[in-house]
Amino acid sequence: MNATDAPLYFFLAATTRAVVVTEVNAPPPNGAALAALIARVASAQDRTAFAALFKYFAPRVKAYLRRAGLTPAAAEEVTQQVMLAVWRKADHFDPAIAGAASWVFAIARNARIDHARRQRDLPAAPDPAEEPQAPSAETLLLTAERATRLHKALAALGPEQRQIVQLSFFSDTPHTAIARALNLPLGTVKSRIRLGLAKLRDLLEDAP
Amino acid sequence: MIQHHPAPETLLAYSAGTLPAGRALVVMAHLQGCPHCQAEAATLDALGGALLETLTPEPLAPDAFARTLAQLDTPAPPAPRRQTPLPQPFGLTLPAALHGTRIGRWLWLGRGLRYSRVRLPWAPEANVMLLRVAPNRRVITHSHGGAEFTQVLHGGFYDATGHYEAGDLAEADEHLSHQPCAGPQGCICLAALEGGLRLPW
Repeated sequence: MNATDAPLYFFLAATTRAVVVTEVNAPPPNGAALAALIARVASAQDRTAFAALFKYFAPRVKAYLRRAGLTPAAAEEVTQQVMLAVWRKADHFDPAIAGAASWVFAIARNARIDHARRQRDLPAAPDPAEEPQAPSAETLLLTAERATRLHKALAALGPEQRQIVQLSFFSDTPHTAIARALNLPLGTVKSRIRLGLAKLRDLLEDAP
Repeated sequence: MIQHHPAPETLLAYSAGTLPAGRALVVMAHLQGCPHCQAEAATLDALGGALLETLTPEPLAPDAFARTLAQLDTPAPPAPRRQTPLPQPFGLTLPAALHGTRIGRWLWLGRGLRYSRVRLPWAPEANVMLLRVAPNRRVITHSHGGAEFTQVLHGGFYDATGHYEAGDLAEADEHLSHQPCAGPQGCICLAALEGGLRLPW
């Protein structure tokens, strides 16, 4: 049992709710299972479902925040805020608009931006997720099985392109800083991002 | 029909959360009227999600889950109140992206040119404004110290890089020197400027 499991076991032991123990040792949940867990949090404030979401997402969100340059203590604190937002906003989650990982990523990204603003005593921006937004037909089409396809497409991307796409997402640096870090001209960074995205799009469209 | 969209790397920076606040606001205004870019942004968020899942998990403190649980029943802080929308010319509805910003009155800037400052409480350094140019009026030739993003809200304008109509987003960088000219209906746009204007004298 690693440190991440400890609070989950603690919680499962302490709760009076009937708990399916196999859930704890089950393989990592897939996109549909994660979406179902979020739906259970939304419909029934199901803490067992939340525990499973915490176990899966919290360590990944923390890894994301660390890569974005947060100190271990800040990453720990902001991760808890992200998971709290997952609990509170679960009823905004619509699997027709976004997959579970995509939704959690957006919450974590916004929490990271808000954290940077709080450091400067600035308020948070309004949450765009709370603006009413009807999914477009294009969005709906793309959402189905997109996560699975994306994982395959990412794996098929060349190492240079994958690196630049990952850096674009995870380091808290604009493209000019990425260019400096990789010792590449800014134009090259931009064109590699474009190429990487175009290749991803091709791979997504070619997927069966 | 929207012809001009944010560049792919701009949408990626928006999705990654690294686009500066002023430009991010203009991109959000574009997204709210552009189903094509909404779908692009949704794919990029999904890409962010897929990358998140590939990261090596970092263990949390042993009490992290218990501490989060203890907060579940605390009600969320109330959302900030919104400014009552100021009446706009042509019955224009401002994009929802401007919620939470503080929009000033229209001020005279020059012949046929008015502007209204848009302040972002969360990013006071952002230089964002609404611009209103009279029909067929040319704006003085200028370049920029940095990026300039312009989302057309009403009417349109053109410059050497193309024609931009309502719903279009124009991206200019520090290398572009241009002299935008409003179309026959005039032009109202939302603009984010970095580095200020550079005038020819």
